[in-house]
Amino acid sequence: MTHLYASTSFPIRDDLAAAHARAWARIARPGTWWDGAERVAIAAEARLAPSCKLCRRRKEALSPLSIEGTHDSLGQLPEIVVEVAHRVRTDPGRLGEGWYRDVIVRGLTAEQYVEIVSVVAHTVAIDTMARGLGLEVLPLPVSVPGSPSHYRPSGAKVGGAWVPWVEPADAGEVEAAIYPRDRLPANIMKAMSLIPAEVRSFFDLVTHQYLPGEVMRDFSREYRAISHAQIELLAARVSALNRCLY
Amino acid sequence: MLLRASGRTYDKTYDLAAVTGTLESDGGVPHGRLLVGFAEAALGEDDAALARARDALMTALGPPGLVDAAGVVGLFNAIDRVADATGIPLEPEKATASADFRAALDLDRFAVSDRI
Repeated sequence: MTHLYASTSFPIRDDLAAAHARAWARIARPGTWWDGAERVAIAAEARLAPSCKLCRRRKEALSPLSIEGTHDSLGQLPEIVVEVAHRVRTDPGRLGEGWYRDVIVRGLTAEQYVEIVSVVAHTVAIDTMARGLGLEVLPLPVSVPGSPSHYRPSGAKVGGAWVPWVEPADAGEVEAAIYPRDRLPANIMKAMSLIPAEVRSFFDLVTHQYLPGEVMRDFSREYRAISHAQIELLAARVSALNRCLY
Repeated sequence: MLLRASGRTYDKTYDLAAVTGTLESDGGVPHGRLLVGFAEAALGEDDAALARARDALMTALGPPGLVDAAGVVGLFNAIDRVADATGIPLEPEKATASADFRAALDLDRFAVSDRI
């Protein structure tokens, strides 16, 4: 596999570059509810969102839902898809359940919604790291033809989140492997379990861009060039900036 | 919570107010102020401020440290979106364990259950 960052002067670990390459390849391929072209278009909208005039006005408003208008978009996706991609990208700390319910009423399925969230999250993880290092963002991948799988876990049901999720006890053969075997999964692992493929993909990024699950609490040694304490301070500050309690 | 757990392992006390960006010190974490400044700049829009924060952190940590710091900032900028967009609650055991510093730092105002 070609090292995505071969031309940069930063010592980006091979395992991290490979994880980014896998994530990019997965975005380009047909997903579970969106095809490859749509997934790449969602990633493109996530990148466009910070310069969208409607998103900027909403971001500055006391209540984002009080501002109406049309998003600046690439015109490749329905407006409701653009709305989700842009809001998740630009104002996640003020997303509410009422907004989510409205998005569903306006025509998205919960499955489609979760996959949009996942594609935006993958893009944000990779692009924010590039910004931190002062690198140009990676060119978006070329989409791969094909149809979405339309796989829905039979055990998915409404739980503690806005979106349906899969409890470990309800996990079938396909989704059983997305959860650790030796402990209960954190809610962040269950968050996108309506689309098991997205959980696997996102936690591949988590493993290499943060830490593997099994060593997050292993304070007996360090696994990165920065310490656990330094990592967790960064994580906590980012979450505070994003107004994310979780 | 993992920041506090890390401190307990090494018998260190970190000033969790560093999370709010209001501390002028490192909060007990080596290069903590530089790390916080880098995270703030990476999520901000001031490219010049980010360049300064990046240079300062690279001087302090070296290039591998800067790369890992940028990776963590990127990853949590994404995780927060997954958490907020799916409306997941804080697990009861985490809520209990973090109640004191959430109250002290007024972090509960970010709860998804309070948003419309």
